[in-house]
Amino acid sequence: MRFELFIAARYLRARRRQAVVGLITLISVIGVAAGVASLIIALAITNGMRRDLQDRLVGSTAHVLLMKTAGDGIDNWRPLLDKLQHQPHVLAAAPGLYGQVLISRGPRSGGALIKGILPDDELKTGNLLQSIKQGSYGELQPTTLIPNPSPLIPKPIVIGQDLATTLGAEVGDSLLVTSPQGELTPLGLIPRYEHFRVVGIFNSGFYQYDSSYAFMRLADAQHLFSEPDVISVISFKLDDLYKAQQVGHALEQVAGNGFQATNWMEQNRELFRALKLEQVVTFIVLALIVVVAALNILIALTMMVMEKTRDIAVMMSFGVDASQIRRIFLAQGLLISGIGTVLGLVVGYAASLAGSHYKFIQLDASIYSIDYLPFAPRIIDALAVAALSLITALLATLYPSHSAASVLPAEALRYE
Amino acid sequence: MATSSPILRAEALEKTYPPLTSGAPGLTLFRDLSLEVAPGEMVAVVGQSGAGKSTLLHLMAALDRPTTGNVYVGETEVTALTPRQQSAFRNRQIGYVWQFHYLLPEFTALENAAMPLLARGVAKSEALAAAETWLARVGLAGRGHHRSGELSGGEQQRVSIARALVTQPRLLLADEPTGDLDTTTSTQVFELLQQLHREQGLASLIVTHNLDFAARCDRVLRLKGGQLHPA
Repeated sequence: MRFELFIAARYLRARRRQAVVGLITLISVIGVAAGVASLIIALAITNGMRRDLQDRLVGSTAHVLLMKTAGDGIDNWRPLLDKLQHQPHVLAAAPGLYGQVLISRGPRSGGALIKGILPDDELKTGNLLQSIKQGSYGELQPTTLIPNPSPLIPKPIVIGQDLATTLGAEVGDSLLVTSPQGELTPLGLIPRYEHFRVVGIFNSGFYQYDSSYAFMRLADAQHLFSEPDVISVISFKLDDLYKAQQVGHALEQVAGNGFQATNWMEQNRELFRALKLEQVVTFIVLALIVVVAALNILIALTMMVMEKTRDIAVMMSFGVDASQIRRIFLAQGLLISGIGTVLGLVVGYAASLAGSHYKFIQLDASIYSIDYLPFAPRIIDALAVAALSLITALLATLYPSHSAASVLPAEALRYE
Repeated sequence: MATSSPILRAEALEKTYPPLTSGAPGLTLFRDLSLEVAPGEMVAVVGQSGAGKSTLLHLMAALDRPTTGNVYVGETEVTALTPRQQSAFRNRQIGYVWQFHYLLPEFTALENAAMPLLARGVAKSEALAAAETWLARVGLAGRGHHRSGELSGGEQQRVSIARALVTQPRLLLADEPTGDLDTTTSTQVFELLQQLHREQGLASLIVTHNLDFAARCDRVLRLKGGQLHPA
């Protein structure tokens, strides 16, 4: 292969008899570089967006949730919680009681998912409470920790920003929370309702939370849902979020029969599938640039074979065989693609790293929940893009290298 | 001139080109053509343009296939080899000089002369050293770094002779090697070929239009009517 590379490299460097061949070769290199750089940058952006979304999503929610299979509550939960939070890979565990409610303020109302919590534990497994923009979660501490709670003041509640907008509520406003799990009376099922006071409004950036989530004290939720000292879920934070499935199974085993675990990946499967699809579509669309560049390689090599027909015949006359001739033009196509690919990788990575470091593309944080375009270039993407570029170039060289190897020396030199 | 078994032997060669249009007769260049060139013998082939002199050399070098008949170089029947084997055989046993120098313009004279050895897979330093020796033998010592465009016609043909002989072949085939040169340079190049033929103990088959040069060969054959006749 040394001989073939020697010839191919010299052909690439030499000034062409037909200037257009050299021009098309240059365009081919630039085309490959542009395609590769575009792919690297686009993939870095989609990776960055996905990583950012994943970080915020995983930060907002627990990695693993454990609940009863039957959907009934977990009673006598304290010893279980104590046992589970000492399992391998578990950093923290928090009790929670979920319930669907209707929240209204005057004529405005909206459905919400209440989570009764112990704030100190909740903060260790999810950071929704840390995204409180107005007020605070201080009053969600259990009443035993609050000196002299007044029975006349409505109980505290923290709601999401979009829910607050729907209700027209601000910190300090009173809300009527109605639970469908009411009391059975001679007149039928009477919903249980209670007044709560908004003590905090959070804004996580995730519409699903901000529009329908609300936090209250665990004891208040148990009272509202008539579930004395019962919780519906135990949330876990892990040291390795990608072990969520494996740890979830282990927790199910430790908790015993009747428990099932779910994790952040299962809960957001559709979202991540959509992001993956977006990335694949982006890759395919931008890969067309590389394909067009490969067509340039095909044209450049075809013209070069026509230009070099006499030289090919002469080489054959001193013993170069057809497979060597084929490899010369194959090597030339791969050299063009290789140079373009390396250039594209350098430009793509430099642009991505600069974008990541200098954050020069600003975004509207109120729309995207992030104030700059994140870039996250990955080695695996570089390998995939380089492989795509080289394989398309290889395919593009098949025809010209075959036609070069098919030159009949006697015919080629007959009319010279 | 030696009398041992021939280096080059062609037996009952026929070369017919198929008709370009259906119904038209094909073109038969040779019919039952035979030829032998002994070791150390320099044979000239003369004939009118279009008689098939170049085609005859192509068949001897396995650059083209006869319609029927066999070509032997030494004990090897080159017409029975595969194309790949023919290439390897050509590289080791046959030196070929064209009317035009046909040097590769992207390469220096030294690289051009070394090309057959590089194609064989010989290390570059070794191939270039051998080429340098051969450039000196053809009178081009110190000119190896020049590209073909920087050499005169005679010098270019000397480089092509060095390229043909750098592999130290047994058989030299030359297709009007002086046909593109002026009289003085033609004489110099032909005398160089004669000298190298003697020094290397080659068997040489030279196609030429120059009857003076042909007369200086060991034997002269005239190609006429598809047959070789002593001239």
